[in-house]
Amino acid sequence: MRAGVETAEEIVARCREVVEDLSFQTVREWKAQHPKARVVGCYPVYSPVELIHAAGILPVGIFGGGNQIEIAHADARFQSFVCSIVKSTLELGLTGRLDFLDGILFHSICDPARNLASVFQRNFPSLHVDYIHFPQNLASPLAEVYLTQEYRRVLRGLEKIGGQPVTEEALVQAISTMNRWRSLVRELYTLRALQPHLLPAAELYPVIRAGTVLPVQEHIRLLEIFLEGVRRREGKPKDRIRVLVEGSFCEQPPIDLIACLEEAGCYVLDDDFLLGWRWFLEDVPIDGDPVQALARAYIHRSVYSPTKHDLRRRKSDHLLEKVRTLGADAVVVLIPKFCEPALFDYPLYRRALEEARVPHLFVEYEEKMWIFDRVRTEVETFVESLLFD
Amino acid sequence: MAQQAMGSRYQGRIHLLQKELMGQYFQELTQAAENGGPPAAYMLISGNPVELVRAFGMLPVYPEVNALQLAVKKESLPYILLAEQMGYSVDNCAYVKADIGLFFNGLRAPFATFPKPTLILCNYVGCNVYLNWFEHLAEYTGATIFPLDIPFIRDPAQGPSEEDVAYVVGQLEELIAVCERLTGRPLDWERLKEVVRLSQQTGQLWAEIKHLTKNKPCPLDAYFDAVTLMGPLYCLRGTEEGLAFFEEAYREVEERVRHNIGPIPEERFRIVVEGPPPWPYLRTFRDLFARWGAVAVASTYSTVGGMWEFGFAHDPEKPLESIAMHMLYWNLTNRSLLLRYQQIRRYIEEWEADALVIHSVKSCRLFSAGQGDMREYFTKELGVPTLLLESDLEDPRYFSEAQMRNRIDAFFESLEHRKIRGHPVEAAVQHSNFSPGEGEAR
Amino acid sequence: MIYAAGVDVGSTQTKAVIMDGSRRIRARALVDTGANVARAAERAFEAVLQEAGLRREDIAFVVGTGYGRFKVTFGDAQITEISCHARGASFVFPGTRTVIDMGGQDAKGIRVAPGGEVVDFVMNDKCAAGTGRFLANAAEVLGLPLDAIGEISLAGKNPVRLSTVCTVFVESDILAYLGQGKRVEDILAGVHKAIAARTVSLVRRVGIEPEVTFTGGVSRNIGMVRALEEKLGLHLNVSPDSHYMGAIGAALFALERAESGVLSRR
Repeated sequence: MRAGVETAEEIVARCREVVEDLSFQTVREWKAQHPKARVVGCYPVYSPVELIHAAGILPVGIFGGGNQIEIAHADARFQSFVCSIVKSTLELGLTGRLDFLDGILFHSICDPARNLASVFQRNFPSLHVDYIHFPQNLASPLAEVYLTQEYRRVLRGLEKIGGQPVTEEALVQAISTMNRWRSLVRELYTLRALQPHLLPAAELYPVIRAGTVLPVQEHIRLLEIFLEGVRRREGKPKDRIRVLVEGSFCEQPPIDLIACLEEAGCYVLDDDFLLGWRWFLEDVPIDGDPVQALARAYIHRSVYSPTKHDLRRRKSDHLLEKVRTLGADAVVVLIPKFCEPALFDYPLYRRALEEARVPHLFVEYEEKMWIFDRVRTEVETFVESLLFD
Repeated sequence: MAQQAMGSRYQGRIHLLQKELMGQYFQELTQAAENGGPPAAYMLISGNPVELVRAFGMLPVYPEVNALQLAVKKESLPYILLAEQMGYSVDNCAYVKADIGLFFNGLRAPFATFPKPTLILCNYVGCNVYLNWFEHLAEYTGATIFPLDIPFIRDPAQGPSEEDVAYVVGQLEELIAVCERLTGRPLDWERLKEVVRLSQQTGQLWAEIKHLTKNKPCPLDAYFDAVTLMGPLYCLRGTEEGLAFFEEAYREVEERVRHNIGPIPEERFRIVVEGPPPWPYLRTFRDLFARWGAVAVASTYSTVGGMWEFGFAHDPEKPLESIAMHMLYWNLTNRSLLLRYQQIRRYIEEWEADALVIHSVKSCRLFSAGQGDMREYFTKELGVPTLLLESDLEDPRYFSEAQMRNRIDAFFESLEHRKIRGHPVEAAVQHSNFSPGEGEAR
Repeated sequence: MIYAAGVDVGSTQTKAVIMDGSRRIRARALVDTGANVARAAERAFEAVLQEAGLRREDIAFVVGTGYGRFKVTFGDAQITEISCHARGASFVFPGTRTVIDMGGQDAKGIRVAPGGEVVDFVMNDKCAAGTGRFLANAAEVLGLPLDAIGEISLAGKNPVRLSTVCTVFVESDILAYLGQGKRVEDILAGVHKAIAARTVSLVRRVGIEPEVTFTGGVSRNIGMVRALEEKLGLHLNVSPDSHYMGAIGAALFALERAESGVLSRR
């Protein structure tokens, strides 16, 4: 591994290549080097990747086809009013680009994603397809009991693929590895929130997303080097507005769209890209039963999300708190076309933001977008309206 | 015959009786809204614990039913637009938008006024949109919300696990505590058993009616007439009036079977319909099929609230367990798409249907997302002629009569040609999947 | 000699064909549909009678097809254009197993049996993406006549990638590309390529089996013919009569009914 000599810029470039490679060459090569190894895909938003690691399996984030894929088969299965990532993920499968997978996990994000799990089952009968039902009655003590059982069920499926029983030791190890990975990611996010001019979102995003594809230890080393490199950066902030980006927790915006937001005059202090991979606000404790610990962490230590209907506190309160803590000037609500959960949260966010007098801009996009002139005009106008106020 | 006098559409005693009963139900709601009444519990239609709500003497209110009534009466658009002004997307479920619009219109609809909720009971059974919907209602009304979490049927080969059932029963016990707090009285278990018994008997009659549609001619349209029966099934289940209605309905349908009477003068095509109806254009839509002599012998939409015809019955001796099983397993929405394929396949085989019609509605992706795959399965794997139509269940802006008519006419023209030339339907479509050259991973 | 007619009332043009008992096309006529659909049907019928030198009473049976088929008030029967295009395409090209029909409002894929009967069909969904309307919008944005864009697109060596096939948003995409200094032919090549991709994906739902016959108004656009052929990797049958295919199919149905003694409902 030559990661040791890479600069932060080289890491960004390499990660971008990994992320935009729809044939998953890095995973294929890894699999060729580890002939007995198994790979399980994780459809967004959140998958308990610790369970996959503990089963000796490589988890790989499957985020659709971005703007590099032509939909030729999947639109026969899903209608025009279904979001892009559902179709492009199926297209990846129907064109053989996911044939390295031994299994794939879906969960209760929204109805199209749930139905996608069924369509995968029918179209790829040899693939292990599992669907995790996350609890929605989070105030009830029963939720933790239920989710622990659900995780054990998922684990039994993974054990079949992995070909070996999963030990408690392996689970503890997986949790501690992922704790390390997530703490590095949190460090980068904290650094970026304080000095966004040193770490553009269009760089941070591909670097973290590469962690959904590369083996975790390799990526941890890469994050450590990247963090060092970014810390050494110098520069003065430009005259831009400081924003939070909210709404892209599932289908991901094209990297060039993120860059377009920044070039149009925004510093991104925080975002919800790749949210499920960054799911926990703090480490998952590793004392006691590890499966139960993961379930408990889901209920008590995870981030707010449109796919988690946690009625203990309003999502808009979480958002406003983030605005205040980070000192953001505005919120960019960046929502993929047809994304039901995000679109449903918007009116409640809008109400709360207007009441709190926090300016916001609503932008709809599709992962398959290729030119961004229209969005850029919208964002620039918004930025001007705030800067010239 | 009476129904002939009313046109080409079956209009029997039960249609009149249904109107009367639903009118009474809406009057009861209006009464409670205007002059006070029992506390209202908002709930969703699909697999719900209305038995528990009734046992507490609470009034069940179904925002879906209210929204669809607005659509049927062609009143939904202004309410949808009101919600869109508040930031709800054109691409979000229009049931939700109509209902939110209704709330901000002071809960006043042209046909009823609705009481504010005391309890918002989110029994979301598979529909993730319900979770948003009731979360919003809770925020707007400030009422107590109880999210009753129902694990989805993850494994099409198996029903719910014992743990799943125990989890739901445990939550029902939590819900009982909430209801006791809200109503200020303890649960009367004897009353609950009585309500569950009424539901059991009602469900059995409904199941028997649905098996009567296997007859030729089919005695009632299992889509367009079934939706008429669904009102009392949902709004009045667990009551004496509800049971009496289904006793009457069974007698009427059974009598029609004995006299070989169908909903239209001549049954020429037997179809299975998948998906909710276009409520704003229900009559127009029905006529487009009636003119071809097409009768629905079964429909998936009529199993949203329960699948009694496949063997479910409430059990007064195990009230909570059977309510839990109803919510977990015995309704359409908590089941996977693949289980729905199996259900439709059974209808086509056992109810002897000629074709499948899929009405794909934009609002409800629970139903519609993936119906293209369903079409592939039925045409290419099973050789069943399948028609896919698109519109909406609530939003009148998505219905184009000319487009609908064109597709429906072309479909029945081709079915008719095959009938005339005596081609068995199966032989016409070969088993054709993607050729390997197209790179499908299999 | 027995004569029958087919009148195809489309969203932009109305076509009429008269066929004789030996299944020879005796006359064709084409008029713009305009706002008065019934009148357009009437005009097309008059024109085709004149062209054939026949009177109304010489025509044994008339079948109306197309969106305005119920406005063909003088017709004896109405049949959808899906059935008619299938029948017409099989008549002109007997080896036809798949029909791609692209008109102003919609795109269709039809699987046909050897006799020309419809086995399965699909149509585009609500949005107009992938139809003649989309091409017309593109032409308008570029300030070019619709008839010319197909030919121009053939000169495009580096087709642009469109990020949308949405009829509404294509305008801003095209303007953005013009702003970037892209060549008009490359933009048009991109537009044709995008529609071809979408159409092939649509038709694949019924299963693409050769021979493939391309019908409807857009089949006169050579750029679209080439783009579809490239995408399919197949040769397309395109008849000089391709936009009359619906009317030809309707005339064939009319003739069959006249011969089998089906009574006119006139």
